[in-house]
Amino acid sequence: MNMRRTTRKAAGIVAMASVLALALAGCSRGGGGDDGDGTAAASSPGITDTTLTLGITTPLSGATAGPGTCTVAGIKAYFGAKNADGGVKFGDGKTRKVEIKALDDGYDPQKAKANYDQLKDSVFAMTAGLGTPTNRAWREAAISDKVPQVLVMTGDPIFSNKDDSPWQLGFVPTYMNEGEAFGKLLADSGEDHKVVILSQNDDYGEGYVSGFKDGIKGASNIQVVKELTYEATDTSVDAQITELASTKADVIFNAMSITPLAIAALQKAQQLNWKPSWFLPSNTARPGAILGPGKASAFPGVYSVAFSQSASAPGFADSDEGAKFLSELKEYADYKDTPAFPHCIWSYQVGAVLDQVFQKMTSPTRDDFMKELRSISDYVAPFMLEGTSVNTTEDGQPAVSTVVVQKYNGKGYDTVEKFG
Amino acid sequence: MSETSFFRKPWVRWASIVVIVVVLIVVPLVLPEFANQTIARIGVFAVAVLGLNVVMGYTGQVSLGQIFFVGLGAYITAYGVTHDWNIVLVFVLAFVGPAVVGLLIALAAARLGGLAIAMVTIALPIVGVPLAKRLGDVTGGSQGLSTQFSDVPDWMPVTMYDDQWQLYLVILVTAIVFLLTRNLVHGRYGRAFAIVKGNEAVASSMGISPYWYKVIAFTLASLIGGVAGFLYMVVIQYTSPETMSFAHSISLLAAMVIGGAASIVGSLLGGAYYVLVPQLTNIVDPNSTALLQGAILLIVLFVLPGGLVSLPRVLTRLAHRRKGGGTGRTPQTTPIAEPDPAAVTEGTPTERQGHA
Repeated sequence: MNMRRTTRKAAGIVAMASVLALALAGCSRGGGGDDGDGTAAASSPGITDTTLTLGITTPLSGATAGPGTCTVAGIKAYFGAKNADGGVKFGDGKTRKVEIKALDDGYDPQKAKANYDQLKDSVFAMTAGLGTPTNRAWREAAISDKVPQVLVMTGDPIFSNKDDSPWQLGFVPTYMNEGEAFGKLLADSGEDHKVVILSQNDDYGEGYVSGFKDGIKGASNIQVVKELTYEATDTSVDAQITELASTKADVIFNAMSITPLAIAALQKAQQLNWKPSWFLPSNTARPGAILGPGKASAFPGVYSVAFSQSASAPGFADSDEGAKFLSELKEYADYKDTPAFPHCIWSYQVGAVLDQVFQKMTSPTRDDFMKELRSISDYVAPFMLEGTSVNTTEDGQPAVSTVVVQKYNGKGYDTVEKFG
Repeated sequence: MSETSFFRKPWVRWASIVVIVVVLIVVPLVLPEFANQTIARIGVFAVAVLGLNVVMGYTGQVSLGQIFFVGLGAYITAYGVTHDWNIVLVFVLAFVGPAVVGLLIALAAARLGGLAIAMVTIALPIVGVPLAKRLGDVTGGSQGLSTQFSDVPDWMPVTMYDDQWQLYLVILVTAIVFLLTRNLVHGRYGRAFAIVKGNEAVASSMGISPYWYKVIAFTLASLIGGVAGFLYMVVIQYTSPETMSFAHSISLLAAMVIGGAASIVGSLLGGAYYVLVPQLTNIVDPNSTALLQGAILLIVLFVLPGGLVSLPRVLTRLAHRRKGGGTGRTPQTTPIAEPDPAAVTEGTPTERQGHA
């Protein structure tokens, strides 16, 4: 009898489970929450008649939190000020406020993908996020979901190739763009130069070096006498610098992304009494953090490239534009200090470029957004240096592909037209 | 304790298994896409934490290199898929590869005792990241590898969304790995692991070689890590050197301790912690995620030193204390930090995380 009762109970539970299963399956999702392909005429997610929402996934914690925080702060400051003035006037005649949803990915590709999955149905476009792996992690997903992933902060050229990345566009110049600018300047100098190259042994270093070599292609006055590499994990490049010094070259192209190594390289060369002109990439050329400690004034010239003003440069805070930018950062992005990273200004410029796109958009769809995004030419965004502009019409290039070469003057940088 | 005996009855066990299976089959069909993706991610990291639990929770050897094996499995999967290898072969390689590497490392590392193993395993992610950047031809360098091989296959008779298919894959593989591991740690090997963890001299005197059992545990952990790497590619579909970043190894370790060391269910909870807490803190305030995560970690460790898995036990004990001397056993105001040995259900006195 006991046995029978047990069986009956078991049967009851199985029956209950089946009922539960059927009930749950009954309310299975039917198209809701997914991107309906048939409803192209309706507006895309994340946009209404009064608001538009942008999504950002970027490192807000961990080692890259400094620049990451800036990528959010700049665009928040830009649209914060716009919203306070009433909003952005769109090409379809409606005025919308632009809201930003930013999530932290800690520079972890896996978390970046999770953030994208979380945001994609509630935002109109993803933008401004920092990092190559963290943007690559959801690039293909964004393509198949048809979600714009635009004006992202990575020097990886794949984001600017329309065939590979129809829903993407990079913002900052690629490593090649930077290396090429310096190569060209050197080639145009008309003087004979012996150049040595010290680069990081990964695609960062390779990008710079290949750009540089493109820049000096066909220039008979430039001779590359020695090329060495180092590993990103190395703690010293003394051996390489000593070896390069023995060539008595007068120019060193130093594609280095590690701050302490850049300082050590500058110091070691001085110890050896080897004083070439020095090229450093934009992210290891900060006056206060690297060139000062490295006593870069000892060299005939330290060169780098840039496309925008630096917020920490002397005089920036006194200019009208600069003061307005800093106060907007404080008011709308809760960013109280003068930013030490260029990403705050870049992100502000991303805001300005998006503003241009919004003004041209005639229908509230992601398709139209992408079309208008690729139609901006020679737009000079706030804080851009003379000679640089935003140009999105050229396939294979990021939104900003022009950089100017700058020379260290002991405190900050001056744009230079020619080498020497 | 009629409640416990209710759950011990065989028909209740079978019925609950049936219910769980039914729920697992139905859930992917009902939940929204993002929930499915989140559950799939939890599965990925639950498997990774489970592997860590085998070597650390059950055998007591501190390993800080688990993420290396996850990354290795992910890279093998990505490489195989981009070269159009058979997917079953890719899956097998994705765990055999890490297992072989794990075995080689363990053969050397297990000769060292205690924290020396931790020191050796620390090297793995530290070597792994630059290695992955350096071997650009195979690994895609710091730009990583993307693969989309886990979309719904054409031969499927029913139509479903990609995220549903991926979740089914993850549930299937995760369930198999969890069942096999559960059987392992509840059997002869599990007892040997526990003795090695408790006292190596005693283990030797019983004819259990601490060295070999450490090697076995470490190899298994690497193997399970490789499976997690395969699932990582199924769900996230992208791997880069950042995948193996040392910080993630520490997060995995924290997730294991928080879920509950030496516990199968604890591994699941650990995976859930690893995935959900960053998402949760992002909702609260994206600018202070690290701070909030640290606070949550400390709170859990203070309140539940045995991990989340000990929550029901702690609640039961609190309820008993509330009742006063009603029950025969008065828990003499034991601090929560000392769980009642009688309440340990997993069969070994090493339920709590003892080391590290």
